[in-house]
Amino acid sequence: MAGNKGRGRAAYTFNIEAVGFSKGEKLPDGVLKPPPLFPDTDYKPVPLKTGESEDYMLALKQELRETMKRKPYFIEKVEEKPDIERYSKKYIQVYKEEWIPDWRRFPREVMPRKKCRKADPKSKSTKGTDRVSSLLNAADVLKKIEELEKRGDGEKSDEENEEKEGSKENKEGDNDSDDANAEQEDYDEEEEQEEENDYINSYFEDGDDFGADSDDNMDEATY
Amino acid sequence: MTQAEIKLCSLLLQEHFGEIVEKIGVHLIRTGSQPLRVIVHDTATSLDQVKKALCVLIQHNLVLYQVHKRGVVEYEAQCNRVLRMLRYPRYIYTTKALYGDTGELIVEELLLNGKMTMSAVVKKVADRLTETVEDGKTMDYAEVSNTFVQLADTRFVQRCPMVHIPENSDTGPSPPAPSLVINEKDMYLVPKLSLIGKGKRRRSSDEDAAGEPKAKRPKRPMDSKEPIPDDGIYWQANLDRFHQHFRDQAIVSAVANRMDQTSSEIMRAMLRMSEVTTSSDAPFTQPLSSNEIFRSLPVGYNISKQVLDQYLTLLADDPLEFVGKSGDSGGGMYIINFCKALASLAIATLESVIQERFGSRCARIFRLVLQKKHLEQKQVEDFAMIPAKEAKDMLYKMLSENFISLQEIPKTPDHAPSRTFYLYTVNVLSAVRMLLHRCYKSVSNLIERRQFETKENKRLLEKSQRVEAIIASVQATGAEEAQLQEIEEMITAPERQQLETLKRNVNKLDASEIQVDETIFLLESYIESTTKRQ
Repeated sequence: MAGNKGRGRAAYTFNIEAVGFSKGEKLPDGVLKPPPLFPDTDYKPVPLKTGESEDYMLALKQELRETMKRKPYFIEKVEEKPDIERYSKKYIQVYKEEWIPDWRRFPREVMPRKKCRKADPKSKSTKGTDRVSSLLNAADVLKKIEELEKRGDGEKSDEENEEKEGSKENKEGDNDSDDANAEQEDYDEEEEQEEENDYINSYFEDGDDFGADSDDNMDEATY
Repeated sequence: MTQAEIKLCSLLLQEHFGEIVEKIGVHLIRTGSQPLRVIVHDTATSLDQVKKALCVLIQHNLVLYQVHKRGVVEYEAQCNRVLRMLRYPRYIYTTKALYGDTGELIVEELLLNGKMTMSAVVKKVADRLTETVEDGKTMDYAEVSNTFVQLADTRFVQRCPMVHIPENSDTGPSPPAPSLVINEKDMYLVPKLSLIGKGKRRRSSDEDAAGEPKAKRPKRPMDSKEPIPDDGIYWQANLDRFHQHFRDQAIVSAVANRMDQTSSEIMRAMLRMSEVTTSSDAPFTQPLSSNEIFRSLPVGYNISKQVLDQYLTLLADDPLEFVGKSGDSGGGMYIINFCKALASLAIATLESVIQERFGSRCARIFRLVLQKKHLEQKQVEDFAMIPAKEAKDMLYKMLSENFISLQEIPKTPDHAPSRTFYLYTVNVLSAVRMLLHRCYKSVSNLIERRQFETKENKRLLEKSQRVEAIIASVQATGAEEAQLQEIEEMITAPERQQLETLKRNVNKLDASEIQVDETIFLLESYIESTTKRQ
């Protein structure tokens, strides 16, 4: 390429006129910067479709977005307490219904160890903590569910009631609590071992992590 | 996954489920399937939050899990499923059009909650409908469950995979994750439920205390006494079925535009007949005889068999080949070629994009190249009947925007430009992919812009919300007109104007999102149908 410099147009091995330049015309300079962020458009965009169905869908979309925020699935960041108690907060109070997943459909490991998801402190304090913890042992609960299914009395029916029912269940099921405790210990041991193993896992994971990080950075840069 | 798709997924997740879920979801999309501990480590999020986020994602069918060797559970995000969240309004609206308000609410609840049992859906929908109807009236459970059965029969809702409980569950520890199995036979089988009851109206006093879940408690124990007959049978919206419906609609309206209303009605009848006989991803329908089509035309539609045959011949002769003739028995056998139809629709989309972006003369060149498959530059200039210089300019512009591609055919092995043919061609598949990619980018931009607009006016929005809340509460206590007006005036005229502008902008952005998604749907269907065929 360097040798071609200065020799001008003759350097091209093809007929320059084929790409639309007449003889002696100056070639455009190379573009050395990215295209503008908001390029001029030659043509104006066409207007959006409007109509009853479009309007309805728009309303649906906006409503859906608002509803989603009020659903228990929307997990907000734990925000630090505001210094000023806002008066407005009294009015804009978001009420979220509780969601207790059907744990039969989830892998055991994603079950929270402590109280169920949106544990409110009131209900927690009313119950004996030991009972709660034993109830929350995953294996235990699964067993209970199975038992319940066998009995088929459907007492556990309402999802929102699961927690209450669980404690009731526990009272009833005191006679097999020994057994359950033993199982719990088993489970814990297993868990510990897993954690030890996983230390090694995570150690090796570091390499991955590095890659992932740089990926993230790149992403931020481009957008 | 392209960066544009990931970006869009991230925005959608964030908007629907908050930042934590977004972080986990995007991480999974980026990295593929991963076990819990690795996710916790890599995202530097607390274990508890990761668990919560995974629960949400699994509940909404956005993440699947699988047990690997040594009992490790790996989680895998469904990127395409995440993108479908953009289409939720359209799914809901479609059900409304087909099954009325009850259907609308059923699908809305299913989409909002990911999956639900039938009894839960029926109860919830009946409650919601009861709230909308006038006082004293209630919505019967039976009515709602009828609509639900209809939806299941027409396959708009389907069962989620069931938890498979192994026979010998007593031996050994329970598996780390339940195994989910799909029973094809039962996919659309509605459990026999005798749901008797009426929707309950939420008392306004309950609503006031709604901040505390406790307020709702007293009502619950009563409910819980009833056994749940369909416990464990979860339902979800069958998005593929919706897509099939959208596709059929698109074909019908395309035919209506190309020919006339009658032919589109014939098309609609044919599509309806094949709904049950043809799977949603088949390249064409089962052959339908002209006699069959005649019988299944809507009753009020007065066309004779002869006219129908003429129409069918016309449709089959159409160069777009939406309809093909597969035989002569039974008065002529006809099929609908979905591949061809989707290809035509995708190409039409490409053409119209070029027309609107580069003008009609560029569109002429594009169509020319499309039609003649391969053209040399000189030929383009001649055939398009556009001055050479302008034609070159347009051609290069489309080339640089990747709508047109260039094929080199060297005469000699040295690839010398002077001894090489340069052929311009349109690679429809890659042009469509490129356009689709742009659509994703556009939607991301639209969402970001909308979020920016709302963020800019956050204080104002909060203020208006606050004022509205105050007005509502004052109204409830029975205030005078003058008092209300006073409160209303807390928002000044310029503020009101600003709010109006904001609302208009947000509406426009939202509407654009929905409409870009329509294009996305078309392009995706085309890509899916062609890549499957190959």
